[in-house]
Amino acid sequence: MLKDYRDTIYHCLKCGACRVAYGVYAPICPSGIKFGFDSHYAIGRISLARAVLDNEIKIDSNLMRRVYTCTSCGACDEQCHDAVGIDPLQVIEELKSAAVDVGMIPPEVRDFLKHMNVHGNPYLLPSEDRGKWAEGTQVETFSGQEYLFYVGDVGSYDERAQKIARSVAELLLESGVSFGILGERELSDGNEVNRVGERGLYEYMAKANIELFRELGIVRIITLSPHAYNAFKNDYPQWGGRYEVLHYSQVLARILEEGKIKPSGKGDLEVTFHDPCFLGRHNHEYEAPRRVLNAIPGLETVEMERTKGDALCCGGGGGNFFTDMLGAGENSPSRIRVREALETGVQVIATACPKCFNMLDDAVKTEGAEEKIAVRDLSQLF
Amino acid sequence: MTMENRGAVKSEIESIVGPDNVSSETPDLIPYLKDSYSTMMGREIPLPDFVILPKTTDEVQKVVLLANKYEIPMYPRSYGVNIAGSALPYKGGGMVIDLKRMDRIMEINEDTMTATIEPGVTWGRLRKEANKKGLDVIPIGGPYQTSPIGNHLLTNITPYSSKYNCDRAVTLKAVLPNGEILRTGSWASALGGDVNPYFRYAYGPDITGMFRGSMGNFGIIVEMVERLRPVAPVENNITFGFDSLEDCMKAMQGIERLEFTRTCQAYNNILTAHILLAPNRISIPGEREAYLKKLAPFQMNLGLGGTKEMVALFEKIAGEEAARWDGYPVLFEGEDKALLDQVSEGASRGIMHMYAPLSGFAAVIGCLPITHVAEINDIVKGIVKKHDIRDPISGEPQEHELIVLPYDRCSTVYVEQEILYDPAADRSTLEPVMQCLRECYAQIVGKYGASHTIPNKTLMKMMVPSYANILKGFKKMVDPKGIMLPGGPYSLE
Repeated sequence: MLKDYRDTIYHCLKCGACRVAYGVYAPICPSGIKFGFDSHYAIGRISLARAVLDNEIKIDSNLMRRVYTCTSCGACDEQCHDAVGIDPLQVIEELKSAAVDVGMIPPEVRDFLKHMNVHGNPYLLPSEDRGKWAEGTQVETFSGQEYLFYVGDVGSYDERAQKIARSVAELLLESGVSFGILGERELSDGNEVNRVGERGLYEYMAKANIELFRELGIVRIITLSPHAYNAFKNDYPQWGGRYEVLHYSQVLARILEEGKIKPSGKGDLEVTFHDPCFLGRHNHEYEAPRRVLNAIPGLETVEMERTKGDALCCGGGGGNFFTDMLGAGENSPSRIRVREALETGVQVIATACPKCFNMLDDAVKTEGAEEKIAVRDLSQLF
Repeated sequence: MTMENRGAVKSEIESIVGPDNVSSETPDLIPYLKDSYSTMMGREIPLPDFVILPKTTDEVQKVVLLANKYEIPMYPRSYGVNIAGSALPYKGGGMVIDLKRMDRIMEINEDTMTATIEPGVTWGRLRKEANKKGLDVIPIGGPYQTSPIGNHLLTNITPYSSKYNCDRAVTLKAVLPNGEILRTGSWASALGGDVNPYFRYAYGPDITGMFRGSMGNFGIIVEMVERLRPVAPVENNITFGFDSLEDCMKAMQGIERLEFTRTCQAYNNILTAHILLAPNRISIPGEREAYLKKLAPFQMNLGLGGTKEMVALFEKIAGEEAARWDGYPVLFEGEDKALLDQVSEGASRGIMHMYAPLSGFAAVIGCLPITHVAEINDIVKGIVKKHDIRDPISGEPQEHELIVLPYDRCSTVYVEQEILYDPAADRSTLEPVMQCLRECYAQIVGKYGASHTIPNKTLMKMMVPSYANILKGFKKMVDPKGIMLPGGPYSLE
């Protein structure tokens, strides 16, 4: 309930630390950068939450358009937590939840939730298609292997993400990791449903997954997406779903260090790493992807100015990958991120999230920079 | 403004800044109504008609001319770090002009050691860019995400004030409330001003100074030439502890008269503990008490710079002068040292910790001879005790925070004393804090005069009529329709 966050809301100093990355001194809120008005920054959304709490304004779809441009990237928390001790994202997500409860959500969010509810995925595609990405590979259906390789909605249905799923799976096979996939039995992890505030549906989805994992005896999970990683690792335990959860970058880092795989690389390339928010800020895993890059021959890593906890979100979190509340334009965060990568002079933007991959890959095209830079998943650089 | 007018005016604004950069929708307006001041005072701020995000001086000028045409109140803000109630749309209606998008650093000039900046540039960003050229900002004690231009309109106090006083604004370009463009200092010249905007004290009276402390009454500063400082080959911060405030002040005076420090500031142990522990460690039981036990009751931080030999010599001389007043070296390590160094250098994150125990603070500010510091510290202590103000975290009787910054080699010092409260607590608990604040101001400002950020209406009553008339006359000349900042505590209506 929003009222449970009253102290947080009232303790906002209105200092704007949430808007700027300390040390880098660059704007850090993707929606604030895009729209400019304070209502699209955490500082303004806390004011809106206070106005709701104090009955000065009612939650409606128009108000919530300002709230749903939030990508749940956690940049505001990263800044404010050490400056003033507040975690604004909790309040923002509570506001989203309150809006869902009273049915006052923008149509884009409503449609996303409807698709998740009816189809179990945002692509409106049948569950039978979920395992198609693995056709023609040696990947097996889960039947008691050590790990479940959980691919998720984007990895299952999106063409570019399917390629990433295949390249990760092939590396796991090559290094002898014992794993299987769920194929058509796989269900959405629900992380985005939670992030747009539909907590009841999220709980239902989580419990369905937990029941399926219990039935199949799954205790170790490798995820393709940092979003699923976050859900399984941080949320599922509250419903009894406790697993050893690894993001695939962590597994790759380990098997590289154990010498179980010998990458040949793609020649001499300069590469910059874009930190996915749900791997980095939400789960503090900044090193595993860099360990992977450092272990690949021929790669030289150049950091962007905003990196790790200060990395600018690509704009695909908080359900925005599907709802597109942020919209397009020169100031869309993915395009800004591509321009930032171009400034480093590298040839490749590497990332470790299928959503980030798509956002950045589209932005490279929109920026007309295909000749200068390419987006690659970590697994595609071996 | 009628609804029809509002629609027509909005269309005109859209034609100036583009439809994406103006809003009259309530959810976009509400965030501009609330700051620490308005929430502490429980003051209901009415909705403005519009919030506007101009990008260029030309757009600002056109918006101001439009405001003149329809006599629409204007409430500009720079980067929008708004905690003192100076940028709220008090009158109801009107336009908030949010200048965040004007964020260019036009020039960093190594010869003149200046930067030419727009209002959306923050201290932190300017520091980063200046550092690339071997220069640094002369920033306020406040946080990094504030705007140098916004600060010029406020007070300009900085940990560097002993060396640089508060004259870091060189020249400026402003759109006056009547829509005219003003340039100051050597920039004022219609002939060579654009070539040489780097000299403040040109062509008669110091008009740049008219804007310092004007709280935005005289126009919208759209560009400012900001003074920078050279970064010395070696820079170091050192700390001395003192058991009494009197000794600390004597040592500060002695050291500042030797004219070698870059920065200087003194705190009491409460403030130091809050800088080191807030916001996340302060509530850990026993943590603050443990720090208070090991910290000196008062400490003075000095920033030194020069060659290696110079810094070593300065450390020795400072140590000897501090020892004359029973001061002793205090060594901080690790994160504690990093935090205090940040605060010493200004424009930091650490300084926000002084407000961060619970984000509620009532500031008692005075600028006065150093000989009175201990006395006004006792006055505040007595008033806090009289009103039985409690520490918002522990519930024990509150000891206030104290910070002292010298101006101009200690000819005067800036003293800020913070009484903390919990803004989330019942409003009835806030009333004694407000009474306490009023009583502190009545006693201190009434007795010693000079202060910052006193509401203009109070100032008008306190000042000699001729001074007030000059301010009012200047205001009337540049803002004949009275549309800049009407209705608020800082308005010069």
